[in-house]
Amino acid sequence: MPIPNLIGESIPMLDSTARVTGTVDYLINLRLPGMLVGKILRSTVPHAQVLNVNVPGFAGSTAVLTGADLENTPLYGAAIKDQAIVATDRVRYIGEPVAAIAAENLDLAEEVASLIDVEYNELDAVYDPKEALNPDTPRLHANYPNNVFIHSKLRHGNMETAFAQADEIFEDTFTSPPAQQASLEPHICAAQWSRANSKLTVWTASQAPYMVRRVLSEIFAIPQSDVRVIVHPLGGSYGGKGHIRIEPMVAALARKTDGRPVKLVLSRDEEFVTVTKHAAVITLKTGVRRDGTFTARQVTIHWGSGAYADASPLLVPQGMVRSVGPYRIPAVHVDSIGVYTNLPPAGAYRGAMSSQTTWAYESQMDIIAKKMGWDGLEFRLKNLFHSGEQFATGETLHDVNFIECLNASVRGLGSKPVTEAGASTRRGRGYAVMMKSTVATSKSQARLRLAVDGVLSVFTSTVEMGQGAHTALAQIAADTLGLPIQAVRLVGPDTDLTPFDSTTSASRSTNMMGNAIIDAGEKLKNRLMELAAVLFHVPANQLIFEDGCVKSGYVSSDSARSRRADSAGSITAAPVLARGEEILRLSGLDVLDETGEYSTALKMDPETGQGVSTPHWHQGAGAVDVEVDVETGRVTILRYSAASFAGRVVNPRMAKLQNDGNVIFGLGPTLLEEIVFDGGQATNANLSDYMIPSIRDIPLELISTCIESDAGEFHGIGEMTLPPVAPAVAGAIEDAVGVRIRDLPITAEKVLRALSAMG
Amino acid sequence: MNIKFFEPVNFKEAAALLAEYGDDAKIIAGGTAMVLMLRQKLISPAVLVSLGRIQTDSDPSEIAPIPEQGASSSRDAALVPPVIRKALAPVVKQGNLHLGALTSLRLVEQSSVVRQFCPALAHSYSVVGNIRIRNQATVGGNLAEADYASDPPSMLLALNARVGLMQPNSTRELPFSEFTLGFYTTALESAEIVTDVIIPPLSERAKTSYHKFSSRSAEDRPCVVVAALVELDPDGRCTDLRVAVGAAIEIPQRLKQVESSAIGQKLNDDLIASIGDEYAHQLDPLSDVRGSAWYRREMISVIVRRSLTALKLV
Repeated sequence: MPIPNLIGESIPMLDSTARVTGTVDYLINLRLPGMLVGKILRSTVPHAQVLNVNVPGFAGSTAVLTGADLENTPLYGAAIKDQAIVATDRVRYIGEPVAAIAAENLDLAEEVASLIDVEYNELDAVYDPKEALNPDTPRLHANYPNNVFIHSKLRHGNMETAFAQADEIFEDTFTSPPAQQASLEPHICAAQWSRANSKLTVWTASQAPYMVRRVLSEIFAIPQSDVRVIVHPLGGSYGGKGHIRIEPMVAALARKTDGRPVKLVLSRDEEFVTVTKHAAVITLKTGVRRDGTFTARQVTIHWGSGAYADASPLLVPQGMVRSVGPYRIPAVHVDSIGVYTNLPPAGAYRGAMSSQTTWAYESQMDIIAKKMGWDGLEFRLKNLFHSGEQFATGETLHDVNFIECLNASVRGLGSKPVTEAGASTRRGRGYAVMMKSTVATSKSQARLRLAVDGVLSVFTSTVEMGQGAHTALAQIAADTLGLPIQAVRLVGPDTDLTPFDSTTSASRSTNMMGNAIIDAGEKLKNRLMELAAVLFHVPANQLIFEDGCVKSGYVSSDSARSRRADSAGSITAAPVLARGEEILRLSGLDVLDETGEYSTALKMDPETGQGVSTPHWHQGAGAVDVEVDVETGRVTILRYSAASFAGRVVNPRMAKLQNDGNVIFGLGPTLLEEIVFDGGQATNANLSDYMIPSIRDIPLELISTCIESDAGEFHGIGEMTLPPVAPAVAGAIEDAVGVRIRDLPITAEKVLRALSAMG
Repeated sequence: MNIKFFEPVNFKEAAALLAEYGDDAKIIAGGTAMVLMLRQKLISPAVLVSLGRIQTDSDPSEIAPIPEQGASSSRDAALVPPVIRKALAPVVKQGNLHLGALTSLRLVEQSSVVRQFCPALAHSYSVVGNIRIRNQATVGGNLAEADYASDPPSMLLALNARVGLMQPNSTRELPFSEFTLGFYTTALESAEIVTDVIIPPLSERAKTSYHKFSSRSAEDRPCVVVAALVELDPDGRCTDLRVAVGAAIEIPQRLKQVESSAIGQKLNDDLIASIGDEYAHQLDPLSDVRGSAWYRREMISVIVRRSLTALKLV
C-alpha cells in the first residue's frame, strides 16, 4: 500500500504528549551515581582587580575552583579568547563567576560559597556602548583601546555622490535595551571525568553540542574524541544556549572531584547575568528622491556586547548584513561595531541582531513615508527587492518573496480597524518587513540506519528545543524512504553516536539537516537496490525504491516521484521485489547505515563586506492593528497577521506555531522587556519585575501565512516573523495617535509622555 | 537551612510558640510569600510556625465546604490544599462579613456570601496573582505580608475593615487603616497573629468598585489600584464617598478631607475630575519598572476618575 507523502502533513509533534504531561527527559532530572551539586560565587562589583580569593579549609568531598587553578588553562571565546573560566586577576561585570563550588548538596555548596572571601580593588566602570568609546573611559581589555573589539564594514557604492543625488536626507537613531532570552529551562550542565582526568563526558543544555566538544577539547588540551557531549531536549533556548557558556566552568570544577560528576543548574537571577540580548544604538542616514526611490543609506551600529566578546565577533558581522533592509538602495555603507561594557556578555537572541536592526530600518521607512507624504505600504512595495536584483553585498538575490510576504500579512488583517466614537482609545495599523541572512559557512551530517526490524533510526545532532525540529526531520526521513512516521526513531544529540552538525540555530536545521537526511536517504536506497540486484539477479539500474520497498521495472526516479504525487493512482504499480528490511534479512545484515552531508561555505571580503553572505535569505513580514489608550498610553494588540517565506512547508501546523510563537515572543521586547541596570547591577533579574508576555497578552487574533515556492527548498522559519513585530507595532501606534517611539520597549509611560509632549 | 518546624492546632498555641521563640520565629500559612522570601534569603528564621493544621474553633457546620463553583467530586477535593478545607468559609454575623485568616483568596473570590455582601471585594481577591497563587495564599497572610502592590488591602481600607488579632493571652481588633504601617511593615506585635478580618455592613445604596491598572503585562503586579465606595441620595448627592489608592504608594491611602468635601455635592464630572486630581496631587508615588512617579501620578488621576465615573453610571 503506498505511503502518503509526509512532507506537508500536520502530524503532531513526536513529543507533544510528553511535553504536556511533564515526562520529557529534561536535563534538570539527570541523576548520576555520586553526583555533586555545583554553585557559583559571583562578583559583586562591576569592575575590579581581584586581589585575593580566600577559600577556607573544608572537609570531605567539597571542591572549590578559583582562578588559582587556571594557571595552565587558556582563555576561551568564540573568536576572541578573552574570558577566563572563573575570574583570575580581573572581574568586569556584576555576576561574573569568581569561584565555583561542588558539594554533596546545594545548602552545603552555598555555605562554602558564603565563607569564601574575595578582595577587590575597584575600578571605574562603563555601561553605555557609546560612552565606552570615549578615550577617557575605562578600558576593559588591554588589547582593545576604545573598547571596540570588532568593527565590520560594508562598502558598496560612493556615498558622497549618492547622497548628492537625494532630494531629502533622513537621519534617525533607534535604540534597543539589553534583554534576556528567558527560556523556561535555565542553563544546566553536568560533567564527569574519567579517573585519570583523561576523558570528559558533558551533559548540557546547549544548541551546539559539537561546538561545546571542540571548545572543551581546546581548553583542556585533550583530543575531541575524548570529549563526549550529550544533549537532552531543551526547555527553550532562543539563542541563549547557542554558544559555550557554563560548560568550561562545570568541566573544570569536575576535574577536582576524583571522577565524581558535578551538576550545575542556574537560578533565574543567574540567567540574567549569563547571557543577554545586545543593547544596540543604530543610526540610519538615508537619501531619498522625490519619486520615492533611494539613493544611499549609511548605517552606524554600536552593539553593547558586555564584558566579554563571547559570540559577538560572529554576530556583529551578521548584524552588519542584516541592518540594510530588503530595499533597492544603490549605495550602502555600514559600520557595525562591537563594544565592551561592564555588563553581562551578550549573545544570540531569537532573530539574532535582526530584531534590533529591523526595528531601526522599518521604523525609518514609516518616518520617511510620512514626511514625504506617501502611503507606508506603497512606499515599501515600490522599493522591495525582486529576485535577480543585487544586494548591498554584491550578491544576486534568489527566491525573493518580500512583496508576497508583506501583501499576505496585510491581507490577513482584513478591513482597517475603526476607532469608536467617544472612547479614550484610538486604533491604528502598522506593518513591517524583514530580511535576514542565515549562517554562511556550516555543515550538517546525518546518519540513517535501517534495521532488520524495519525501524529507521535518524542519528542527528540537531537539538530539539521545543521548536519541533525532530518531528520535521523525522518527516523528511520517513518521506525520503517512503516509510510511515511510526517506523522512524530519532537518536541524539550525543557526539559519541551522532555525526557532526555545526549548530541548531539561525533557523538552519530544517534546511541543512533536512538536506543531509535526504542525502543519507538516497545513499541508503542505492545500497538497498544494489543488494537487491544481487539477491534478485536484476541490474540495479532497473530497480526503483519507493514506499519502503525495492521494486522492479525501469522507471526514472523523476517519473517515480511524479507518480507518487498523482492522486488518481491510475498508474500501474511496479512489482514489489522486497521491503527494505527483507533485503537486509536476505543479505544476512542486521543494519544498514549511511551518512549524508550538506554544507555551505561562503565568503565575504572582511574590508568591504562584498561577497556572498548567506545560502538563502530569511524573509518575513507582519501587519498589526492596535488600540492605544490616550489617557494611560497602554497599547493593546487587537490582531496580528504574520507571514514568512517557507520555501516548502514540512508540517503546516508546526509552521503556524513558529509564526505565531515569533509574534508572541516579539511582543516582549516590543512592549515589555528590558533588563534595568543600576551601576552594573541588574535590578529586575526575576520574572516578576522583568516582564515577558503572558497568555493574557496574546492578541485576540493571530493570523499566519507561510509562502511556498515552486523551487521547493526547505527554509527555516524559526525567526522570520519576529523582527517585524516591534516596528509594525510602533507604526500602528503612530497611525493611531501620531506619536513615534524610537526606543524599545514601547512602554505605556513612553507613549503617554510622547502624547503629553505633543499637547 | 536548618529550620525547626511546628504545626500547632490552634491560634493560641501558635501565638504561644511565637512568644517562646520571639524574633527567631515566623508564621507560615499558604506560604506563597514566605517561601519566596526564604528562597531569596531575605529572611532566615530559625523557627517556622505552620498554621496548616489549625482547626477553627467554630461550629463544624460553618467549616467551609468545597467552593460552590468548581469542585464536586472527591478528586477535586483532593486538589484543594488542606488549609482551605479546614478554614472558615466567609460568613455574615450580625451584619458584619467575617473572613477567616486561613481562608484562601480563591475561596473569598468564589464565595457567594462575599459576592452578595460586596462584589468589588470578591473582585479584589480574584485579581491577585494567578489561580495557583490564590488557591494557596490566605486572607491573613496577605495582610500580614503588607505587600504594597497587593490587591485586597486597598479594598479593605475603603470598606472600613477591622483586623482581628490574637496574642497568647489576649485578643484585639484594629481598624485596617492602623494595621499597615509601611513597606512590608505592620502593627503586629511580635507574638501576635491575624485571626480574621471583619467588614462592617454596607448601606443598600452603597456602590463599590475595585480597579487594578497594570502598565505592562496583563499578569503584572499593578501600577496603580483604586478601591472606591460611593453612596448617593436620590438627588445624586454624595452621602458617603471613600477612595483608597494603592500599589503606587507605600501603603494604601485614603484622603479623608477630599472624601468629606464631596459629601452633599452632586457627583458630576467636574467633582470627579477634581477628586482624581487631588489624589494625584497629594499622594507621593514611588518610581520603579512599573512606572515613574510622574506616570503613577497621572494614572492615579485617570483611574480615580474612571472608577468614580463608572460608579456614577451604575
